[in-house]
Amino acid sequence: MAVNMSGEYILPADKQTVWAKLNDPEVLKACIPGCEEFTAEGNSYKATAKVKIGPVSTRFKGTVTLSDLDPPNSYRISGQGDGGISGFAKGGARVRLEDAEQGGTKLLYDVEAEVGGKIAQLGSRLIASVAKKNADEFFANFAKVFA
Amino acid sequence: MYAFDYRRPHSLNEADLALKAMPGAKFLAGGQTLLPTMKQRLARPDALIDLGAIPELKAISVSSDALTIGSMVTHAAVATSAEVNKALPNLAALAEGIGDPHVRHRGTIGGSVANNDPAADYPAALLALGATIHTDKRAIAADDFFQGLFTTALDENEMITSISFALPAKFAYAKFANPASRYALVGVAVAQRGGDVRVAVTGAGQSGVFRVPAMEAALKSSFTSQAVAGVKVDASTLSSDIHANADYRSHLIAVMAKRAVAAIA
Repeated sequence: MAVNMSGEYILPADKQTVWAKLNDPEVLKACIPGCEEFTAEGNSYKATAKVKIGPVSTRFKGTVTLSDLDPPNSYRISGQGDGGISGFAKGGARVRLEDAEQGGTKLLYDVEAEVGGKIAQLGSRLIASVAKKNADEFFANFAKVFA
Repeated sequence: MYAFDYRRPHSLNEADLALKAMPGAKFLAGGQTLLPTMKQRLARPDALIDLGAIPELKAISVSSDALTIGSMVTHAAVATSAEVNKALPNLAALAEGIGDPHVRHRGTIGGSVANNDPAADYPAALLALGATIHTDKRAIAADDFFQGLFTTALDENEMITSISFALPAKFAYAKFANPASRYALVGVAVAQRGGDVRVAVTGAGQSGVFRVPAMEAALKSSFTSQAVAGVKVDASTLSSDIHANADYRSHLIAVMAKRAVAAIA
């Protein structure tokens, strides 16, 4: 089942600084909710994230790739994860940076994600809310990097 | 099922000992969410501590200023309790409207509240009534307890022991139920105590149960169903899914609020 989300954040740093952080694996690891592992492997990263929602507790293993790089303006971060018996998730976000009128940098994102398998069947009424919660958490964590 | 340890303590003290012996254990209340999740292998706790044999968690008591319901009281027991029907009749009606007979005879108020499903009925009632959640460690106000999707103020391994509601209070709950699951597509709880009015909505918020200050203010100046009819909750904060989109949920909030107010105005 498909989930689409978008949003924007104002970050108190210039575009170059924000871009550097967006490409720093340590920062990404700290920002991805439940991330336990995030290691470079060629052009992509090997990642493990523990997703805990109410009674459900599942570990997704997969890869994260950065593509369409246009420094320091935009890139695409995409990933796919296998949660074993629970199902799978894949998706990506287009992230754009603009100089904000009031100073700092405006980060805009559009996420599209696809969730399938058991977790989607059983949790269909919750997938959109859970996906949004995780996206919000990621960008809120990212904003904290500049606080 | 896969293999896991199971304990059924007969007192809070025994439950505490069981938890110390099995640090990875999960408390099992009525099992209406946890057991299906385990059957699907979406959770695999090593051990369960079944709270179903602890008498002090199953008591309902009423005093001049409070109704207290033990955490392991089932929805069916709340629905048919003479004390609840006298003190807060519409709380009994809410319990009668949860799920199906099986769910009502197994599911418990403590389990529902600890799970904080964004479409569960009890969280709206607790928030509207300003209930107090008592645990084995402390007492938590409903306003501080519910913290978003399936998230509560409970620590890992903290157990709800009872929930108390200050009396006297006027209370009503109206829900538009999903016809299959009886989960709330939208449920609105309204409570009036003295000059104070609180309105809480379940089933609709992207982050679970929430209060509607604009409706509360409107009802404080005029406790009539017309007062809430014009108050619209911003659809951008509401959830959309295959059952209902955010605009429809926003519309339903006003309709359910009117019905709840009309029931007690």
